[in-house]
Amino acid sequence: MGNAFSLPTFLNKLFGSREVRILMLGLDAAGKTTILYKLKVNQEVTTIPTVGFNVETVTIKNVKFNVWDVGGQDKIRPLWRHYYSGTQGLIFVVDSSDHSRIEEARTELHRIINDREMRDSLLLVLANKQDVPGAMNPQEITEKLQLAKIKDKVWSVEPTIATKGDGLGQAFQWLSDHTKDAKK
Amino acid sequence: MALPTTALPFLTRTTSNNTPGPASGYANGVGVARNPASNSNNNNNRASLSSFPPSSRSASQMSQTSRPSRSPQPQAQPQSQPQPQSQPAAAAIMSETDRTSDPSSKSKTASTGTAVSSQHSSLSAGPRPYDPASSRPARKLRSQYPRGATENHVEYILVASFDIDRGPVMEHQYPVPITGDEHMLAELMLPDQAHVRNQDWTIFFLHKDSSQEEDDEERRAKDERRQRRRRKQDRAKGIIHESDDEDDDEDEAYLDEDDLDDDLSTDSEPEGGEGPPLIYVLNLVNTKQDKTVKRGAVVKAMAISPPLLLLALEEYFKSPVPETLAMLFSAVNEMDLSLMPKLSLLERHLLQASDNRDLFVEKFEQMVQMRIAEDRGEGVPDQPFDASRSPPRRPGIFRSGTKAHIEGHSTYSVPRDTHEFESRVMYKGIPIPIKVPVAIMPETVGDFSLIKLIQTFSEPHGKSPHTFPLHPHLTTNGPNTHPIIVLANALLTQKRIIFLGHNLPSGEVAEAVLAACALASGGILRGFTRHAFPYTDLTKVDDLINVPGFIAGVTNPTFEHHPEWWDLLCDLPSGKMKISSKIEPAPITEGLVYFQQQNPVYAPLVNTSSSSSSSSSSSGAAQDLTGDAAFMGDILRSIATRVGERVIRAKWRDWVVKFTRIAAAFEETVYGASALYIGSDEHLETATEGVTKGHGYVWPDDVAKGRELAGNVTRIEGWRNTRSYYSFIQDVAQLYTVRPLKGLDLHHMHDRLRTQRLSPAHSKQIYFAFSNHVHSYDEICLLLSVAPESHAGLFYIALGLFHKERDVRVRTAALLERIAEHEAGQHWWKALSRFEKLAFVRIKREAELRSRLDREGGGAAVGGVGGSDGDKRIS
Repeated sequence: MGNAFSLPTFLNKLFGSREVRILMLGLDAAGKTTILYKLKVNQEVTTIPTVGFNVETVTIKNVKFNVWDVGGQDKIRPLWRHYYSGTQGLIFVVDSSDHSRIEEARTELHRIINDREMRDSLLLVLANKQDVPGAMNPQEITEKLQLAKIKDKVWSVEPTIATKGDGLGQAFQWLSDHTKDAKK
Repeated sequence: MALPTTALPFLTRTTSNNTPGPASGYANGVGVARNPASNSNNNNNRASLSSFPPSSRSASQMSQTSRPSRSPQPQAQPQSQPQPQSQPAAAAIMSETDRTSDPSSKSKTASTGTAVSSQHSSLSAGPRPYDPASSRPARKLRSQYPRGATENHVEYILVASFDIDRGPVMEHQYPVPITGDEHMLAELMLPDQAHVRNQDWTIFFLHKDSSQEEDDEERRAKDERRQRRRRKQDRAKGIIHESDDEDDDEDEAYLDEDDLDDDLSTDSEPEGGEGPPLIYVLNLVNTKQDKTVKRGAVVKAMAISPPLLLLALEEYFKSPVPETLAMLFSAVNEMDLSLMPKLSLLERHLLQASDNRDLFVEKFEQMVQMRIAEDRGEGVPDQPFDASRSPPRRPGIFRSGTKAHIEGHSTYSVPRDTHEFESRVMYKGIPIPIKVPVAIMPETVGDFSLIKLIQTFSEPHGKSPHTFPLHPHLTTNGPNTHPIIVLANALLTQKRIIFLGHNLPSGEVAEAVLAACALASGGILRGFTRHAFPYTDLTKVDDLINVPGFIAGVTNPTFEHHPEWWDLLCDLPSGKMKISSKIEPAPITEGLVYFQQQNPVYAPLVNTSSSSSSSSSSSGAAQDLTGDAAFMGDILRSIATRVGERVIRAKWRDWVVKFTRIAAAFEETVYGASALYIGSDEHLETATEGVTKGHGYVWPDDVAKGRELAGNVTRIEGWRNTRSYYSFIQDVAQLYTVRPLKGLDLHHMHDRLRTQRLSPAHSKQIYFAFSNHVHSYDEICLLLSVAPESHAGLFYIALGLFHKERDVRVRTAALLERIAEHEAGQHWWKALSRFEKLAFVRIKREAELRSRLDREGGGAAVGGVGGSDGDKRIS
């Protein structure tokens, strides 16, 4: 077991980086684009609603994350499925302060992970906007999203504040750790 | 027919890609729609639109059973326009009907002009006396866009915006709303990632859903026209008018021409019978920043031609009310194109293939002269301008841009380059120059560059050649087939093609799609733009993949991850092409099997992926059976020496023509007959004999033929059964009805002079055929079109000046004389070398001397004897 993990790590260090394809979804205004550009340029950027998608390559500790950030407005949510194929990790971003729409978020999340094309993907839920007073903590988010019901999938919930970058390093470390076995 | 969406080359469409990160701002999209088909019924101004062709129709189009019949009555076309077509480049939504099907406009085509006798060009005629009228078309010149025409250049103006809560929404439609899925239109108008650009543009095609009622109306209109025509014919035949006979004859010829033109119009209608007209939408998206708006951003889009849209959208941001649109609408529709002459199909071919800026300049001058006469209140001079009294150039008409023109302050001018008509749109007191292409061929939509397309995919290939997985339809030169050839093959065999431009403005992928359509069409084949989606996105993918064979532009790289959606993916940023791993294998067809059975010698050369593909195809590739490697080499060298876009388009046109001719030869070889060529022996009688009887593509020998067919078998078989194949058959049939010199294949004869070693007796037959049959204006146009300036022009014809027999020399000189006086032919004549011209002068002088001697000697016998004497003396 230990060897199995250390050998790829060694190879990765030797050959530079490996690539991981990440799909970032979530309801509109959850903070997806802010997270993407915080990672990419380490700046807080003012975002506008995403028309379609953004895609950026972010390298964190020799791992190249190919992050697809797809617009979250309900009108364009049916398009999400076209991005599933080949996805190794799903980041589902939740606005932890938006109590009114957490149910909607749960429905969407379960719809995604039940898709056949997503069965091999990791799930990382980002409980974003932790700085907003009244925000739900990761434990509450886990319950509200009914993550315990999920079978046969590696998942995790991380608290984040996208505008400051808090929690993002940890989140991607988790992705990095758990995609090591990925073939690509 | 013409489809002047093209051009505006000088117009900046500043697509400023600013920082990749998001920025707050507005994006606006404005759309302008043109749908002239609905014009005649004013109550029917609302068009129901969808961005996809009805799938049932395209499916039926594919099936063998729908093979178009060659009945003389063209398939019903929507032909409801009362007036000739009228959409210039500035229009944003334009209907395809315009290209063609309006008989009333076509019938007035002045420039289809033929000398009266040439219409059905009886080939039995021997040498005819020289007819000076052949230098010009006999009939009156008309405008492509007459003054006072009722329909508009632009039919609709649309504004869409991206609403934070609702996504893309339609904000305004002017003057009336277009029916159909508004949300879909708004989505089309706001491309993906509009939010990261200050500006972007797209073009898209809308398919009009013609209801049953409309069809009926069209049919009624057509019947009415046919009746009217019949009445006219009756009148021309039976009833003698007060006018004298001569006039009557001309009238009759004119009417006949009407009918033929009517047919031509339906046939040259690029989508002949393929369905309701297409509507073109040119779209501009603007993004403006505004911190006061919720989430700091608004995205809007407006559709019309880019330069105007730029101004109009600015204005719209200031005052987002329908009045702003009304102003734009009237500005565009007031653009005057009435001085642009109308050209016949042959004339358009000549103009497109030529780089000469003066070709047909006389027509522009005539238009101006007619206008000046009109302005003086003289009324329209109804009689044709015949060559004999070609009016002298009056003061006041200058080529635009010349010193005289600028100093002369004349109202009218003739364009600097006859390929483009210059006009302007007055918008808020600012004159915006617009250039409208004069000769537009089918499938040529928008302002694209073949050179750019070719370079994009050639440079990476040049550095490290692609190795394609083999597919018989696509990799006709083996695994290292040039990507552009793979693309052309994919288009010909109706594959699903995607142009992907991640992080590129949608305008760039749209441009590539339009260029690809033109590449495979060459102005000859059609059915590509109808199934083109210059810019589309994921929202329409489910509909898209239901279209059998499409050309789509996308910016979303997720398309690359779905090889089941496409057959060929062309990645614009990297210049790489990919054949899908899920592409359907090419079926083994009857034609392929027959060919291999009939030609066992060449069978191993055929590029099938199945049997020992690696060895055979690589040997085939090494031998370049198709000649495509050499062709691409020539194209790339030409681009490297900075020849113009026009030259490259002409070369591609030649490639497409060659392909269709080889396909015809293939079908005749394998199936014994082909609908791709109509030579109709019934017209021939005794007029043609020996070499002049042949038709079709010419090879130096049978070995060359066998090898070239072997190289082409697979893609020809892939092409059969496609939309472009069936519409080509239709076009061939309909073109035949209006073509001069029906029994003769001038192209074939000229090719024989060019490529084969002929005995003097054989070449004599060809030279005689030329001189016997090529007299009228149109006949000379046809001859010029098979001897384009880019292919040595008149060189091979002029070789007749050095023929062994005097008779051939004299007749060739007479033919060249006719050509030299022809409106277009004069430019070909000028390009002849001094040596050839000297020979011409010598032969003319001799002929004159001879005829003088004949007159003095007064005996036919003298002439006869002199003939042989002359031969001896000169040779």
